[in-house]
Amino acid sequence: MHIDVFSAFRENADRNGILFYYSGSLSQNVIGAMGDALKQRLESQDAKGSTSRKLFSSFIEMVQNAIHYSPDDPDSNGDKVGSIAVGKRDEKYFIMCGNLVQKQHVGRIREKLEPLKRMSLDEIKQAYRAQLKNDQNDDAVSKGAGLGFLTLARDSTEPIEYALIDAPGHENKLSCFYLKAII
Amino acid sequence: MNNIYIARTSESPEIDFNFSGHILNITGEAYPENASDFFRPVLIALETYLKSIANCDVIFNFQLTYFNSASTKMLYNVFELLNESASTDANRIVLNWYHDEEDDTILEFGLDVQEDFQWLDFRPIILDIAKEA
Repeated sequence: MHIDVFSAFRENADRNGILFYYSGSLSQNVIGAMGDALKQRLESQDAKGSTSRKLFSSFIEMVQNAIHYSPDDPDSNGDKVGSIAVGKRDEKYFIMCGNLVQKQHVGRIREKLEPLKRMSLDEIKQAYRAQLKNDQNDDAVSKGAGLGFLTLARDSTEPIEYALIDAPGHENKLSCFYLKAII
Repeated sequence: MNNIYIARTSESPEIDFNFSGHILNITGEAYPENASDFFRPVLIALETYLKSIANCDVIFNFQLTYFNSASTKMLYNVFELLNESASTDANRIVLNWYHDEEDDTILEFGLDVQEDFQWLDFRPIILDIAKEA
């Protein structure tokens, strides 16, 4: 990468309000280091306690989701990889995460996320409580408690956005999964 | 009955279950890589303890400042066990629910727990983080 390309990359990030960007291998250790960096950035941005807590929660849910569900990256020696960006625009924070998913799970992900877009906060909280009480794990793929997306939706002030795009070079097997929440 | 103590890490809470003194403390943040791996042994020890007592006063101090979604489910199971023990074995279980005044998420979860597990003596306590530090 030439310096002028990096300069343009940096200026573009600044223009879009990016405070924090990471792309690369994801592990619980990386979560710890990134989480600390994020907390420090938010303190210096004077984020209110509740905003910073919700951002941290969304960060953890997104990255752990990526670690749990993304297949090993065929282009990087079998690491779990992902990208995460946190930024601020119009006095609101946004957080985005991108990672690979197996194409066979794309339909399942859509089925989970699509209804959340149309639910009110009260409906999201009701669904969250119902899932909390639900002892049957009816989703064989889910490794968590089925509460991750509901937690993100609960903390986001706007409906969570997502995109599923064919992974370049692996169109038959893998998709890039992007999630965005606004706090 | 052996007490259990698990030291706090950056991603998992301190578990200090003093079964002989009937005081159970959980403190810190909970977002371990695998919440069920972390909490399963804790739940098993708690269940064994609760089966061994009747007509007893137990204090559970809940002092978590953050828990991820998978840990939330495990915590819900903890309260389920406590509630069952209070209803069937006449144990009096106080649940001291420490929370930051500004932290709606933890208070709301506590109020859900209170509603779902009515045998527990739920006592919300505002934690002054500034004074603690």
